[in-house]
Amino acid sequence: MDATQNAAVAIGVRAQEVPRAAATQDDLYEQAATIYGPALERLGRAYEADPELRRDLLQEIHVALWRSFATFDNRCSLRTWIAHNVAASHIASQRRTKFQALMDLEELENLPDTTGVHNPDRTHALDRLLNLIQRLKPLDRHVILSYLEGLEAASISEITGLSPGNVATKIHRIKNVLARQFQQGEQQ
Amino acid sequence: MNQTLENPVQKLWQDQPVEGIKMSVEAIHLRAGKFERRITRRNLRESVASVVVIIAFGYFFVTAPNPLMRITWGLFIAGMIWLTVQLWRKGTPRTMPENLAAATSISFFRSELERQRDLLKNVWPWYLSPLVPGYIALNFAWVLAPSRPTSWTTILLFDLCFVAIFFGVWKFNQRAARRLQRSIDELSAAENAQR
Repeated sequence: MDATQNAAVAIGVRAQEVPRAAATQDDLYEQAATIYGPALERLGRAYEADPELRRDLLQEIHVALWRSFATFDNRCSLRTWIAHNVAASHIASQRRTKFQALMDLEELENLPDTTGVHNPDRTHALDRLLNLIQRLKPLDRHVILSYLEGLEAASISEITGLSPGNVATKIHRIKNVLARQFQQGEQQ
Repeated sequence: MNQTLENPVQKLWQDQPVEGIKMSVEAIHLRAGKFERRITRRNLRESVASVVVIIAFGYFFVTAPNPLMRITWGLFIAGMIWLTVQLWRKGTPRTMPENLAAATSISFFRSELERQRDLLKNVWPWYLSPLVPGYIALNFAWVLAPSRPTSWTTILLFDLCFVAIFFGVWKFNQRAARRLQRSIDELSAAENAQR
């Protein structure tokens, strides 16, 4: 499997859907936007709560992606390429949330469940999930989003630069938090 | 999704409705062009402001009553030129990593934070100090002027204001740099954990 196909599997699309060769920057962008557009939109939602600002952020991500393809030479996977674009856009968006007190996964894990009665409604559950994600510090937010997108620990480690052991610990904490906040609710 | 999701929350996340926002290549070109123009306009605005100040200093330079005042305004002009060049060089945000192939997102994120920290931490050499020689020369010019137009008290008050403003700018930037350093330390600790 080549790097691009690897990336596709990690992000969650079939390998055969990935373009094997693209001639121009515009072509590469269009193909990437078609394949990864929904995932980028979900990531944008996790980084920005305000719909108008989120639209701006998403456009920034798309423009950054398009610009990046001017120098894309297949030396790294498309997945890593896109992850960097999201990271770059996230750095910009951080200015908008710098006054919000952010937590790491350990703090979140130890936080009492203050949501009260769990509402099984899907929209409500999604809102609570977004709220959890938006309270996390950048790195932990990156890890939980990668996990939610279905990336395996090895891929998360490769993209973020965290050790596999560290990623495993973080995923363990993520599962604990999610189990406490969501599966408990479903059982009620 | 072609992967088996082990956690129902993953399914909840991935199945959420999306708007399907997709920008056409034409819209991308337009937006990218707007961004370039915004950066160009910002740089131009800063340059015009600097040029106006330099022209004013140039006028004082030409009309200076004595060589010492001429040296003073000359030093201010040199300082402003240096400052403007540095603003151009350092002020442009880096939107993409230069060596993407070798970098992980954590190292890119850290390098961006380090770049911003260094900019704030070293505000003295590139932003504040270029104007100091001119200011020192101005003090000498005031004191040594044959018919000193300014009283000692005024000079002292002026100097105190100058020092207070410079100290305030430096302190504010140092505080911002320390905040960034805390984030860098957190990233480094996370990166080194369980290695």
